Amino acid sequence: MKKKNKWVPALIGIAAIFAAWYFVCWAGIFNSYVLPSPQKVWATFLKMLKTGEVFRDIAISFGRVLRGFGIAFLLAFVIAAFRIFFPKSEPYYEYLIQFFRNVPPLSLIPLLILWCGIGETTKTVIIVLASFFPMYLSIVKGFTGCDRKLLEVARSFSYSPMRTFVRVILPSAVPDILVGMRTSLGYSWRAIIGAEMVAASTGLGHMILFAQQMSRTDKVIVGIFVIGTVGYGTDRLLGLLIRCFVGGTAQNGWN
Amino acid sequence: MAGIEIRGLTKSYKMESGTLQVLRGIELTLPEGEITVVLGKSGCGKTTLLRLVGGLEEPENGEIRFPGEQKTAFVFQEPRLMPWLNVRDNIEFGQKKNQRNREDTARIIHTVGLDGFEKSKPHQLSGGMQQRTALARALAYRPSFIMMDEPFAALDHFTRESMQQELLRVRRETDASILFVTHSIDEALTLADRIILISEGVVSAEYRLPQKQPRDILCDELIAVRRAIVSALEKPNDSTPV
Repeated sequence: MKKKNKWVPALIGIAAIFAAWYFVCWAGIFNSYVLPSPQKVWATFLKMLKTGEVFRDIAISFGRVLRGFGIAFLLAFVIAAFRIFFPKSEPYYEYLIQFFRNVPPLSLIPLLILWCGIGETTKTVIIVLASFFPMYLSIVKGFTGCDRKLLEVARSFSYSPMRTFVRVILPSAVPDILVGMRTSLGYSWRAIIGAEMVAASTGLGHMILFAQQMSRTDKVIVGIFVIGTVGYGTDRLLGLLIRCFVGGTAQNGWN
Repeated sequence: MAGIEIRGLTKSYKMESGTLQVLRGIELTLPEGEITVVLGKSGCGKTTLLRLVGGLEEPENGEIRFPGEQKTAFVFQEPRLMPWLNVRDNIEFGQKKNQRNREDTARIIHTVGLDGFEKSKPHQLSGGMQQRTALARALAYRPSFIMMDEPFAALDHFTRESMQQELLRVRRETDASILFVTHSIDEALTLADRIILISEGVVSAEYRLPQKQPRDILCDELIAVRRAIVSALEKPNDSTPV
Protein backbone atom coordinates (compact mmCIF):
# COMPACT_ATOMS: atom_id res chain seq x y z
CA MET A 1 0.00 0.00 0.00
CA LYS A 2 2.80 2.33 0.96
CA LYS A 3 4.70 1.67 -2.25
CA LYS A 4 1.62 2.30 -4.33
CA ASN A 5 1.10 5.64 -2.60
CA LYS A 6 4.60 6.69 -3.51
CA TRP A 7 4.18 5.98 -7.20
CA VAL A 8 0.68 7.34 -7.75
CA PRO A 9 1.58 11.06 -7.43
CA ALA A 10 4.68 10.58 -9.59
CA LEU A 11 2.63 8.96 -12.36
CA ILE A 12 -0.02 11.67 -12.12
CA GLY A 13 2.66 14.35 -12.53
CA ILE A 14 4.12 12.65 -15.61
CA ALA A 15 0.67 12.02 -17.09
CA ALA A 16 -0.23 15.71 -16.65
CA ILE A 17 2.81 16.81 -18.66
CA PHE A 18 2.00 14.38 -21.45
CA ALA A 19 -1.64 15.45 -21.47
CA ALA A 20 -0.66 19.10 -21.78
CA TRP A 21 1.80 18.26 -24.54
CA TYR A 22 -0.81 16.22 -26.37
CA PHE A 23 -3.40 19.00 -26.02
CA VAL A 24 -1.03 21.69 -27.33
CA CYS A 25 -0.25 19.57 -30.40
CA TRP A 26 -3.88 18.60 -30.93
CA ALA A 27 -4.98 22.26 -30.81
CA GLY A 28 -2.28 23.11 -33.35
CA ILE A 29 -0.81 25.95 -31.26
CA PHE A 30 2.71 25.24 -32.54
CA ASN A 31 3.98 24.04 -35.85
CA SER A 32 4.68 20.29 -35.74
CA TYR A 33 8.31 21.09 -36.59
CA VAL A 34 8.66 23.23 -33.45
CA LEU A 35 6.87 20.74 -31.24
CA PRO A 36 6.23 17.27 -32.66
CA SER A 37 3.33 15.36 -31.15
CA PRO A 38 3.86 12.65 -28.54
CA GLN A 39 2.74 9.99 -31.04
CA LYS A 40 5.39 11.10 -33.54
CA VAL A 41 8.13 11.11 -30.91
CA TRP A 42 7.04 7.66 -29.74
CA ALA A 43 7.10 6.32 -33.29
CA THR A 44 10.59 7.75 -33.82
CA PHE A 45 11.73 6.22 -30.55
CA LEU A 46 10.44 2.78 -31.58
CA LYS A 47 12.19 3.11 -34.91
CA MET A 48 15.47 4.02 -33.21
CA LEU A 49 15.06 1.04 -30.90
CA LYS A 50 14.56 -1.22 -33.90
CA THR A 51 17.67 -0.01 -35.72
CA GLY A 52 19.64 -0.15 -32.45
CA GLU A 53 21.29 3.23 -32.98
CA VAL A 54 20.00 4.54 -29.67
CA PHE A 55 21.57 1.62 -27.78
CA ARG A 56 24.93 2.27 -29.41
CA ASP A 57 24.83 5.93 -28.38
CA ILE A 58 23.74 5.08 -24.84
CA ALA A 59 26.54 2.51 -24.47
CA ILE A 60 29.16 4.94 -25.74
CA SER A 61 28.05 7.83 -23.52
CA PHE A 62 27.66 5.51 -20.55
CA GLY A 63 31.18 4.16 -20.99
CA ARG A 64 32.61 7.67 -21.15
CA VAL A 65 30.73 8.75 -18.03
CA LEU A 66 31.89 5.71 -16.10
CA ARG A 67 35.51 6.19 -17.07
CA GLY A 68 35.60 9.91 -16.29
CA PHE A 69 33.60 9.51 -13.09
CA GLY A 70 35.83 6.67 -11.89
CA ILE A 71 39.02 8.65 -12.48
CA ALA A 72 37.52 11.73 -10.81
CA PHE A 73 36.50 9.68 -7.77
CA LEU A 74 39.96 8.19 -7.37
CA LEU A 75 41.61 11.60 -7.71
CA ALA A 76 39.21 13.28 -5.29
CA PHE A 77 39.59 10.51 -2.75
CA VAL A 78 43.36 10.40 -2.90
CA ILE A 79 43.82 14.18 -2.72
CA ALA A 80 41.31 14.51 0.13
CA ALA A 81 43.00 11.67 2.03
CA PHE A 82 46.38 13.26 1.40
CA ARG A 83 45.03 16.40 3.02
CA ILE A 84 44.08 14.42 6.12
CA PHE A 85 47.46 12.72 6.47
CA PHE A 86 49.50 15.84 5.66
CA PRO A 87 47.42 18.84 6.76
CA LYS A 88 50.33 21.21 6.25
CA SER A 89 50.41 20.44 2.52
CA GLU A 90 46.94 21.95 2.04
CA PRO A 91 47.89 25.56 1.11
CA TYR A 92 50.16 24.31 -1.69
CA TYR A 93 47.32 22.98 -3.81
CA GLU A 94 44.07 24.15 -2.26
CA TYR A 95 44.05 27.56 -4.02
CA LEU A 96 44.75 25.91 -7.37
CA ILE A 97 41.86 23.55 -6.83
CA GLN A 98 39.56 26.39 -5.88
CA PHE A 99 40.65 28.31 -8.98
CA PHE A 100 39.88 25.43 -11.34
CA ARG A 101 36.64 24.71 -9.52
CA ASN A 102 35.35 28.03 -10.83
CA VAL A 103 36.36 27.41 -14.43
CA PRO A 104 33.53 25.74 -16.38
CA PRO A 105 34.98 22.59 -17.99
CA LEU A 106 33.21 23.35 -21.27
CA SER A 107 35.25 26.56 -21.55
CA LEU A 108 38.37 24.38 -21.75
CA ILE A 109 37.13 22.48 -24.81
CA PRO A 110 39.06 24.62 -27.35
CA LEU A 111 42.31 24.06 -25.48
CA LEU A 112 41.62 20.39 -24.85
CA ILE A 113 40.91 19.78 -28.53
CA LEU A 114 44.24 21.41 -29.35
CA TRP A 115 46.12 19.41 -26.76
CA CYS A 116 44.34 16.07 -26.73
CA GLY A 117 42.62 16.00 -30.12
CA ILE A 118 38.97 15.09 -30.62
CA GLY A 119 39.47 11.55 -29.38
CA GLU A 120 38.34 9.98 -26.12
CA THR A 121 40.95 11.77 -24.00
CA THR A 122 39.29 15.16 -24.38
CA LYS A 123 35.91 13.80 -23.34
CA THR A 124 37.36 11.94 -20.40
CA VAL A 125 39.19 15.04 -19.20
CA ILE A 126 36.01 17.12 -19.46
CA ILE A 127 34.06 14.63 -17.37
CA VAL A 128 36.86 14.40 -14.83
CA LEU A 129 36.93 18.20 -14.53
CA ALA A 130 33.16 18.40 -14.19
CA SER A 131 32.73 15.66 -11.62
CA PHE A 132 35.92 16.04 -9.58
CA PHE A 133 35.07 19.20 -7.64
CA PRO A 134 31.71 18.39 -6.04
CA MET A 135 33.09 15.01 -5.06
CA TYR A 136 36.31 16.51 -3.72
CA LEU A 137 34.45 19.07 -1.61
CA SER A 138 32.11 16.45 -0.16
CA ILE A 139 34.90 13.99 0.60
CA VAL A 140 36.99 16.71 2.26
CA LYS A 141 33.96 17.75 4.29
CA GLY A 142 33.39 14.13 5.30
CA PHE A 143 37.00 13.59 6.30
CA THR A 144 37.55 16.86 8.13
CA GLY A 145 34.10 16.85 9.74
CA CYS A 146 34.78 13.64 11.63
CA ASP A 147 33.61 13.94 15.25
CA ARG A 148 36.65 14.93 17.37
CA LYS A 149 35.26 12.91 20.24
CA LEU A 150 35.42 9.73 18.20
CA LEU A 151 38.96 10.57 17.09
CA GLU A 152 39.89 10.87 20.76
CA VAL A 153 38.55 7.39 21.37
CA ALA A 154 40.88 6.08 18.67
CA ARG A 155 43.73 8.06 20.18
CA SER A 156 42.99 6.71 23.64
CA PHE A 157 43.43 3.19 22.25
CA SER A 158 46.79 4.20 20.67
CA TYR A 159 45.53 3.94 17.09
CA SER A 160 48.04 4.71 14.34
CA PRO A 161 47.07 7.45 11.84
CA MET A 162 46.36 4.84 9.17
CA ARG A 163 44.22 2.74 11.47
CA THR A 164 42.35 5.85 12.62
CA PHE A 165 41.67 6.71 8.99
CA VAL A 166 40.36 3.27 8.06
CA ARG A 167 38.39 2.58 11.25
CA VAL A 168 37.05 6.03 12.18
CA ILE A 169 37.47 8.79 9.59
CA LEU A 170 36.47 6.79 6.52
CA PRO A 171 33.32 5.17 7.91
CA SER A 172 32.15 8.44 9.43
CA ALA A 173 32.66 10.17 6.06
CA VAL A 174 30.62 7.63 4.08
CA PRO A 175 27.38 9.68 3.96
CA ASP A 176 29.23 12.77 2.70
CA ILE A 177 31.19 10.72 0.15
CA LEU A 178 27.95 9.23 -1.15
CA VAL A 179 26.27 12.61 -1.51
CA GLY A 180 29.34 13.84 -3.39
CA MET A 181 29.31 10.82 -5.69
CA ARG A 182 25.67 11.32 -6.43
CA THR A 183 26.05 15.02 -7.23
CA SER A 184 29.09 14.31 -9.37
CA LEU A 185 27.38 11.60 -11.34
CA GLY A 186 24.76 14.14 -12.40
CA TYR A 187 27.53 16.59 -13.34
CA SER A 188 29.24 13.88 -15.37
CA TRP A 189 26.14 13.34 -17.48
CA ARG A 190 25.71 17.03 -18.10
CA ALA A 191 29.34 17.43 -19.09
CA ILE A 192 29.46 14.41 -21.42
CA ILE A 193 26.48 15.68 -23.39
CA GLY A 194 28.14 19.09 -23.76
CA ALA A 195 31.42 17.51 -24.78
CA GLU A 196 29.77 15.22 -27.31
CA MET A 197 27.91 18.12 -28.85
CA VAL A 198 31.18 19.84 -29.62
CA ALA A 199 33.76 17.18 -30.20
CA ALA A 200 32.34 13.80 -31.07
CA SER A 201 30.88 11.67 -33.80
CA THR A 202 29.12 9.27 -31.43
CA GLY A 203 27.17 9.34 -28.18
CA LEU A 204 23.87 10.83 -27.05
CA GLY A 205 25.09 14.44 -27.24
CA HIS A 206 26.18 13.99 -30.80
CA MET A 207 22.91 12.30 -31.63
CA ILE A 208 20.95 15.34 -30.45
CA LEU A 209 23.13 17.85 -32.26
CA PHE A 210 23.03 15.78 -35.45
CA ALA A 211 19.23 15.54 -35.23
CA GLN A 212 19.05 19.32 -34.89
CA GLN A 213 21.13 19.79 -38.00
CA MET A 214 18.83 17.39 -39.84
CA SER A 215 15.78 19.32 -38.53
CA ARG A 216 14.57 16.22 -36.67
CA THR A 217 13.00 17.81 -33.58
CA ASP A 218 11.38 14.46 -32.76
CA LYS A 219 14.80 12.85 -32.48
CA VAL A 220 15.99 15.71 -30.27
CA ILE A 221 13.11 15.07 -27.88
CA VAL A 222 13.79 11.33 -27.90
CA GLY A 223 17.41 12.16 -27.05
CA ILE A 224 16.36 14.32 -24.14
CA PHE A 225 14.10 11.58 -22.76
CA VAL A 226 16.80 8.97 -23.16
CA ILE A 227 19.42 11.11 -21.38
CA GLY A 228 17.07 11.88 -18.50
CA THR A 229 16.06 8.24 -18.16
CA VAL A 230 19.59 6.88 -18.38
CA GLY A 231 20.86 9.53 -15.93
CA TYR A 232 18.08 8.69 -13.49
CA GLY A 233 18.78 5.00 -13.99
CA THR A 234 22.50 5.30 -13.21
CA ASP A 235 21.69 7.38 -10.13
CA ARG A 236 19.39 4.61 -8.89
CA LEU A 237 21.93 1.95 -9.81
CA LEU A 238 24.60 3.71 -7.78
CA GLY A 239 22.10 3.97 -4.92
CA LEU A 240 21.41 0.25 -5.16
CA LEU A 241 25.10 -0.66 -5.18
CA ILE A 242 25.71 1.54 -2.18
CA ARG A 243 22.80 0.04 -0.32
CA CYS A 244 24.39 -3.39 -0.85
CA PHE A 245 27.67 -2.15 0.62
CA VAL A 246 26.65 0.10 3.49
CA GLY A 247 23.02 -0.84 4.05
CA GLY A 248 20.15 1.36 5.19
CA THR A 249 18.94 4.39 3.32
CA ALA A 250 18.13 7.14 5.77
CA GLN A 251 21.60 7.25 7.30
CA ASN A 252 23.70 7.28 4.16
CA GLY A 253 21.82 10.21 2.66
CA TRP A 254 20.27 8.18 -0.14
CA ASN A 255 16.57 7.92 -0.80
CA MET B 1 55.00 1.06 45.63
CA ALA B 2 55.47 1.63 41.91
CA GLY B 3 52.78 3.69 40.30
CA ILE B 4 52.05 6.59 38.05
CA GLU B 5 53.70 9.75 39.32
CA ILE B 6 52.45 13.21 38.49
CA ARG B 7 54.81 16.04 39.36
CA GLY B 8 54.19 19.78 39.12
CA LEU B 9 51.54 19.51 36.43
CA THR B 10 50.21 22.84 35.13
CA LYS B 11 47.80 23.68 32.35
CA SER B 12 46.09 26.85 31.18
CA TYR B 13 43.80 27.71 28.31
CA LYS B 14 43.76 30.86 26.25
CA MET B 15 40.34 32.50 26.38
CA GLU B 16 39.01 35.67 24.82
CA SER B 17 39.13 37.39 28.18
CA GLY B 18 42.67 36.24 28.99
CA THR B 19 44.38 33.12 30.23
CA LEU B 20 42.53 30.62 32.38
CA GLN B 21 44.90 28.77 34.70
CA VAL B 22 43.19 25.44 35.33
CA LEU B 23 45.92 23.37 36.99
CA ARG B 24 48.59 25.06 39.09
CA GLY B 25 50.97 22.29 40.00
CA ILE B 26 49.34 18.95 40.68
CA GLU B 27 51.42 16.50 42.75
CA LEU B 28 49.97 13.01 42.81
CA THR B 29 50.99 9.37 42.92
CA LEU B 30 48.61 6.71 41.65
CA PRO B 31 49.65 3.42 43.24
CA GLU B 32 49.25 0.25 41.23
CA GLY B 33 45.98 -1.62 41.63
CA GLU B 34 44.22 1.20 43.48
CA ILE B 35 41.12 3.17 42.65
CA THR B 36 41.94 6.85 43.01
CA VAL B 37 38.89 9.06 42.83
CA VAL B 38 39.30 12.73 41.98
CA LEU B 39 36.56 14.91 43.44
CA GLY B 40 35.97 18.58 42.93
CA LYS B 41 33.44 21.20 41.97
CA SER B 42 32.59 21.47 38.33
CA GLY B 43 35.19 23.49 36.45
CA CYS B 44 37.95 22.74 38.96
CA GLY B 45 40.10 20.93 36.39
CA LYS B 46 39.25 17.29 37.10
CA THR B 47 38.63 16.43 33.49
CA THR B 48 41.70 18.39 32.38
CA LEU B 49 43.85 16.36 34.77
CA LEU B 50 42.43 13.15 33.36
CA ARG B 51 42.98 14.24 29.77
CA LEU B 52 46.58 15.15 30.51
CA VAL B 53 47.25 11.80 32.15
CA GLY B 54 45.57 10.05 29.23
CA GLY B 55 47.75 11.91 26.73
CA LEU B 56 44.79 13.57 25.03
CA GLU B 57 46.31 16.98 25.80
CA GLU B 58 49.82 18.23 26.37
CA PRO B 59 50.77 19.66 29.78
CA GLU B 60 52.37 23.09 30.03
CA ASN B 61 54.81 22.19 32.75
CA GLY B 62 55.48 19.20 34.89
CA GLU B 63 55.59 15.54 34.00
CA ILE B 64 53.70 12.31 34.22
CA ARG B 65 55.87 9.23 34.76
CA PHE B 66 54.53 5.79 33.97
CA PRO B 67 56.29 2.76 35.45
CA GLY B 68 57.11 0.78 32.30
CA GLU B 69 54.69 0.04 29.50
CA GLN B 70 51.07 0.73 30.37
CA LYS B 71 48.00 -0.36 28.50
CA THR B 72 45.59 2.45 29.10
CA ALA B 73 41.90 2.78 28.40
CA PHE B 74 39.62 5.78 28.69
CA VAL B 75 35.93 5.88 29.55
CA PHE B 76 34.48 9.26 28.67
CA GLN B 77 31.55 11.21 30.06
CA GLU B 78 29.57 10.31 26.94
CA PRO B 79 29.56 6.80 25.49
CA ARG B 80 31.36 7.88 22.28
CA LEU B 81 30.49 4.71 20.40
CA MET B 82 31.09 4.39 16.68
CA PRO B 83 27.55 4.81 15.27
CA TRP B 84 28.25 2.52 12.30
CA LEU B 85 29.44 -0.42 14.43
CA ASN B 86 27.22 -2.79 16.36
CA VAL B 87 27.66 -3.44 20.07
CA ARG B 88 30.09 -6.33 19.62
CA ASP B 89 32.30 -4.48 17.13
CA ASN B 90 32.26 -1.40 19.33
CA ILE B 91 33.40 -3.48 22.28
CA GLU B 92 36.23 -4.94 20.20
CA PHE B 93 37.17 -1.51 18.85
CA GLY B 94 40.26 -1.16 21.02
CA GLN B 95 41.66 -4.58 20.18
CA LYS B 96 43.83 -5.47 17.24
CA LYS B 97 42.38 -8.11 14.92
CA ASN B 98 44.62 -10.89 16.22
CA GLN B 99 43.74 -10.07 19.84
CA ARG B 100 40.01 -10.42 19.37
CA ASN B 101 38.41 -13.38 20.99
CA ARG B 102 34.71 -14.00 20.50
CA GLU B 103 34.41 -15.89 23.80
CA ASP B 104 36.03 -13.14 25.85
CA THR B 105 33.84 -10.57 24.15
CA ALA B 106 30.75 -12.66 24.85
CA ARG B 107 31.75 -12.92 28.51
CA ILE B 108 32.19 -9.16 28.80
CA ILE B 109 28.88 -8.56 27.04
CA HIS B 110 27.28 -10.85 29.60
CA THR B 111 29.02 -9.04 32.47
CA VAL B 112 27.66 -5.65 31.47
CA GLY B 113 24.22 -7.17 30.86
CA LEU B 114 23.97 -6.66 27.13
CA ASP B 115 23.19 -10.26 26.13
CA GLY B 116 21.06 -10.33 23.01
CA PHE B 117 22.13 -6.85 21.91
CA GLU B 118 25.40 -7.89 20.23
CA LYS B 119 24.14 -6.93 16.80
CA SER B 120 22.35 -3.70 17.83
CA LYS B 121 23.61 -0.36 16.67
CA PRO B 122 24.26 2.35 19.30
CA HIS B 123 21.20 4.40 18.28
CA GLN B 124 18.99 1.43 19.12
CA LEU B 125 20.23 1.37 22.72
CA SER B 126 19.22 3.42 25.74
CA GLY B 127 21.73 5.86 27.23
CA GLY B 128 22.57 3.44 30.03
CA MET B 129 23.16 0.57 27.62
CA GLN B 130 25.40 2.78 25.48
CA GLN B 131 27.48 3.70 28.51
CA ARG B 132 27.72 0.04 29.49
CA THR B 133 28.98 -0.71 25.98
CA ALA B 134 31.62 1.99 26.41
CA LEU B 135 32.70 0.46 29.71
CA ALA B 136 32.83 -2.98 28.09
CA ARG B 137 34.99 -1.52 25.30
CA ALA B 138 37.50 -0.32 27.88
CA LEU B 139 37.45 -3.63 29.79
CA ALA B 140 37.80 -5.77 26.66
CA TYR B 141 41.06 -3.96 25.95
CA ARG B 142 42.47 -5.52 29.17
CA PRO B 143 44.08 -2.30 30.34
CA SER B 144 46.47 -2.02 33.24
CA PHE B 145 45.33 1.56 33.80
CA ILE B 146 41.78 2.84 33.28
CA MET B 147 40.83 6.50 33.27
CA MET B 148 37.18 7.28 33.81
CA ASP B 149 35.60 10.68 33.43
CA GLU B 150 32.26 10.72 35.25
CA PRO B 151 31.29 7.60 33.33
CA PHE B 152 28.13 6.89 35.29
CA ALA B 153 26.83 10.45 35.63
CA ALA B 154 24.09 9.96 33.07
CA LEU B 155 22.84 6.64 34.43
CA ASP B 156 19.86 6.02 36.68
CA HIS B 157 20.44 5.06 40.30
CA PHE B 158 20.15 1.30 39.90
CA THR B 159 22.22 1.02 36.74
CA ARG B 160 24.87 3.22 38.32
CA GLU B 161 25.00 0.99 41.39
CA SER B 162 25.39 -2.18 39.36
CA MET B 163 28.06 -0.56 37.19
CA GLN B 164 29.97 0.51 40.27
CA GLN B 165 29.89 -3.04 41.60
CA GLU B 166 31.01 -4.25 38.20
CA LEU B 167 33.97 -1.87 38.30
CA LEU B 168 34.97 -3.10 41.76
CA ARG B 169 34.79 -6.68 40.54
CA VAL B 170 37.01 -5.84 37.57
CA ARG B 171 39.53 -4.22 39.84
CA ARG B 172 39.60 -7.32 42.08
CA GLU B 173 40.08 -9.63 39.11
CA THR B 174 42.57 -7.68 37.04
CA ASP B 175 44.39 -5.53 39.55
CA ALA B 176 44.11 -2.59 37.14
CA SER B 177 44.82 0.91 38.46
CA ILE B 178 41.87 3.21 38.04
CA LEU B 179 41.75 6.99 37.99
CA PHE B 180 38.15 7.96 38.40
CA VAL B 181 36.75 11.47 38.14
CA THR B 182 33.37 12.32 39.61
CA HIS B 183 31.47 15.11 41.31
CA SER B 184 29.36 12.71 43.32
CA ILE B 185 30.63 12.28 46.88
CA ASP B 186 28.58 9.11 47.30
CA GLU B 187 30.18 7.57 44.25
CA ALA B 188 33.63 8.49 45.52
CA LEU B 189 32.88 6.91 48.91
CA THR B 190 31.58 3.74 47.26
CA LEU B 191 34.51 3.17 44.92
CA ALA B 192 37.65 4.83 46.18
CA ASP B 193 40.68 3.44 47.88
CA ARG B 194 41.76 7.04 48.07
CA ILE B 195 39.90 10.28 47.41
CA ILE B 196 41.73 13.33 46.08
CA LEU B 197 40.14 16.75 46.29
CA ILE B 198 41.11 19.33 43.73
CA SER B 199 40.44 23.00 44.20
CA GLU B 200 42.09 26.06 42.74
CA GLY B 201 44.17 23.85 40.50
CA VAL B 202 46.02 21.93 43.20
CA VAL B 203 45.43 18.83 45.30
CA SER B 204 43.81 20.36 48.37
CA ALA B 205 43.09 17.26 50.43
CA GLU B 206 43.44 13.51 50.39
CA TYR B 207 41.44 10.82 52.19
CA ARG B 208 42.29 7.15 52.49
CA LEU B 209 39.31 4.86 52.84
CA PRO B 210 38.99 1.45 54.53
CA GLN B 211 39.74 -1.56 52.32
CA LYS B 212 36.47 -3.31 53.08
CA GLN B 213 34.10 -3.89 50.15
CA PRO B 214 31.15 -3.72 49.72
CA ARG B 215 30.82 -0.60 51.78
CA ASP B 216 27.98 0.89 53.66
CA ILE B 217 28.42 4.56 52.91
CA LEU B 218 26.07 5.35 55.79
CA CYS B 219 28.41 3.89 58.43
CA ASP B 220 29.89 6.31 60.93
CA GLU B 221 33.39 6.23 59.54
CA LEU B 222 32.35 7.12 55.99
CA ILE B 223 29.88 9.74 57.19
CA ALA B 224 32.79 11.41 58.97
CA VAL B 225 34.81 11.38 55.74
CA ARG B 226 31.82 12.74 53.90
CA ARG B 227 31.51 15.64 56.37
CA ALA B 228 35.18 16.42 55.98
CA ILE B 229 34.90 16.44 52.18
CA VAL B 230 31.81 18.64 52.17
CA SER B 231 33.38 21.19 54.49
CA ALA B 232 36.60 21.17 52.44
CA LEU B 233 34.65 21.77 49.24
CA GLU B 234 32.56 24.52 50.82
CA LYS B 235 35.55 26.55 52.00
CA PRO B 236 34.81 30.21 51.19
CA ASN B 237 38.23 30.81 49.65
CA ASP B 238 37.61 28.01 47.19
CA SER B 239 36.80 30.17 44.21
CA THR B 240 36.06 28.08 41.18
CA PRO B 241 37.66 29.26 37.96
CA VAL B 242 35.08 30.24 35.39
